[in-house]
Amino acid sequence: MFQVQHLTKRFGEIRAVDGISFEVRRGELYGLLGPNGAGKTTTMSMLSGLLAPDEGRILFDGVDLAAKPLEVKARLGIVPQEPALYASLSARENLKFWGGLYGLAGAALDKAVDRVLEETGLAGRAKEPVKNFSGGMKRRLNLGIGLVHRPQAVLMDEPTVGIDVQARLNILQVVRDVAAAGTTVLYTTHYLEEVETLCDRIAIMDHGKILAEGTLQELKRQVGGKDVLTVTGTFDAEAARQAGAIDGAQVVSAESGRLLLSVEGGRGTVEALTAILASKLQAEGITIQPPSLSTLFLNLTGRELRD
Amino acid sequence: MRRLLLLVGKDLRRKVRAPVGLAVLLAFPLVFAGMLALVFGGSGENTPKVRLVVENRDTGFAASALGSAFTSKQMAEHFDVRTVAKGEGAAIIEAGEASALLILPEHFTQDVLDGKAVTLELVRNPAEGILPEVAEQLARILADVLDGGARVLRQPLNDLRPYLKDGVQGPTDASVIAISLAFKRTFEGAGGFVFPPAITLKGAFEEKKPEKDAGNTGSLIFLAVLPGVAVYALFLVADNGMRDVLAEGTLGTMRRQLAGPIGTGTLLVGKALYAGALALLALAVFSAVAAAFLRKVPSLPAYLLLSLALILAVVGCSALVYGLAGTERKGATFASAIYLVLGFLGGSFVDVGNLPPFMQAIARWTPFYWATSGYRTLLEKGGGLADVLPAIAVLSVLGVAFLVAGSFFLRKTIARGGATA
Repeated sequence: MFQVQHLTKRFGEIRAVDGISFEVRRGELYGLLGPNGAGKTTTMSMLSGLLAPDEGRILFDGVDLAAKPLEVKARLGIVPQEPALYASLSARENLKFWGGLYGLAGAALDKAVDRVLEETGLAGRAKEPVKNFSGGMKRRLNLGIGLVHRPQAVLMDEPTVGIDVQARLNILQVVRDVAAAGTTVLYTTHYLEEVETLCDRIAIMDHGKILAEGTLQELKRQVGGKDVLTVTGTFDAEAARQAGAIDGAQVVSAESGRLLLSVEGGRGTVEALTAILASKLQAEGITIQPPSLSTLFLNLTGRELRD
Repeated sequence: MRRLLLLVGKDLRRKVRAPVGLAVLLAFPLVFAGMLALVFGGSGENTPKVRLVVENRDTGFAASALGSAFTSKQMAEHFDVRTVAKGEGAAIIEAGEASALLILPEHFTQDVLDGKAVTLELVRNPAEGILPEVAEQLARILADVLDGGARVLRQPLNDLRPYLKDGVQGPTDASVIAISLAFKRTFEGAGGFVFPPAITLKGAFEEKKPEKDAGNTGSLIFLAVLPGVAVYALFLVADNGMRDVLAEGTLGTMRRQLAGPIGTGTLLVGKALYAGALALLALAVFSAVAAAFLRKVPSLPAYLLLSLALILAVVGCSALVYGLAGTERKGATFASAIYLVLGFLGGSFVDVGNLPPFMQAIARWTPFYWATSGYRTLLEKGGGLADVLPAIAVLSVLGVAFLVAGSFFLRKTIARGGATA
């Protein structure tokens, strides 16, 4: 559905998106995972036609976005990171406006609005001004607006940021339903568990580049059976590096007070622990992380996703 | 077209839901003009009288005539005159019981008859501002009239002098006829230049007299003030509309719209139409209120064309301000300052004729000037379409030019993310 080819966007000296390429298949739920500042939102802005790429191109269903922006945009749904709503209008009025903007009218528009109000659980509050809504309700309406015209593909930019667990679960269920109905979804997040539970395929992004791409199983295979050991204590970076020079271990990062090691699981992990405890390093704490997207991200970037 | 209607409808609905800002802008010119009308447009019943003390030290007919001028029926409406004996006036002024003291000197009548220079003394109450000034101005006028009369009637007065002395036998019938004829001929001969000033003085009060209903002077002031402030308010109303381009950037809704099947041009046209609709609504309110005070209906085609040209100008001006400002906050600050200065120069608050010449020259470059003078031509002078065509042309040209330039800069702002942040 989406073919992204060598996409680049610079802001002055900073390459916010650095020559990325990926493909999102029809009906797929594709996740872009990365920390804040990884370039996810800039990528989404280019995919939604709001930002022109400096290099590369985007094809949607074979149509070049740069050549026919309005045609492509009409077939897309957008769910921005921050709710973009008219607070003085009701939920129904908001949905009617956005649905109308995408060409719906009359009975079809009313039907679409009713459907979305039901799907997002806002039917009972449809006539209330949005300014009276809770943060979670606003997020749900924000999501609903992106779906009211039944787009062929939806771009969702971190739709669950800053909301409570219940609202988050509700939104994730709507996303699953949308994908199950055959709509292509491109979903960005920095929550590991969201991509792990939602997405068919995942791209891990950092510093404007895609570091790894594949299904959850494929990505986990990239980690292999390796555990990640995190050693903390009062030591300098050089001491950490020396202590990490253990057979079978790979230093992911060595800095003052923190050492990250990638080690073969099972026996390898036990040997690494023994070697560290026997070293001159005054370890105050050791954490063992089993293979996961998190450890893959650590292996790829040397830092944790929340950093 | 359907999308434009959708955009404008959405914005108007939002404005209806949060109407306070617009209501304040609509009320401002009406309240402002209304307050001025109430302060300066009283019926006369509420206007305090000038309390004048006349200290008459002369017993002649000229002094009596001058003193009685203040007690005539017309003057009595505005002057509360009290005649006192020699030496009593100063005490009354010192006690603050009068606005002014007019002293008619001894031998006043004789000196007038002799053609000598006569000095009237007017002592003003320093504690009062306007009323003593009124008394002084009127005393000057009366002195001028008396002086003119004495000069013109010199010959008949000379003929009359012998009979004014005490103990002298009255004139014969023939003398009376001769002197009367001399007065008559002199009046007839001098009528062309003596009477107009006298009549003017009289007329000055008679012009206000027919306004029997209390509100008429106030209505005139209201209608004189309203066009200027209404034009100023219209700029603020349009500003309120165009500002929404950048306000939607802050809301995130601009970004969302631009991610939809709608171009930047359509969005800007939608906002311009919305701002224009607000201005039209404001103009309709101002016009409806003004109509209630109008004595004569102005030329409707001229009024409509001038109003449309003004709406174009206010929308264009707002677009340019926000296009150049780039952010909502900067735009609002610029707009307030720019409109205040241009409004002052353009005659929204003071008549352009009262400004220094160099400011008057600048005023012609402001849309405020053309709009305000256009409405005053229609409402006050009863002008027609031909009289306001220059104003319509200037406002239209300025409006289109500003709108084109403003759209250009707003597009640039939107393109660099200023309205989609």
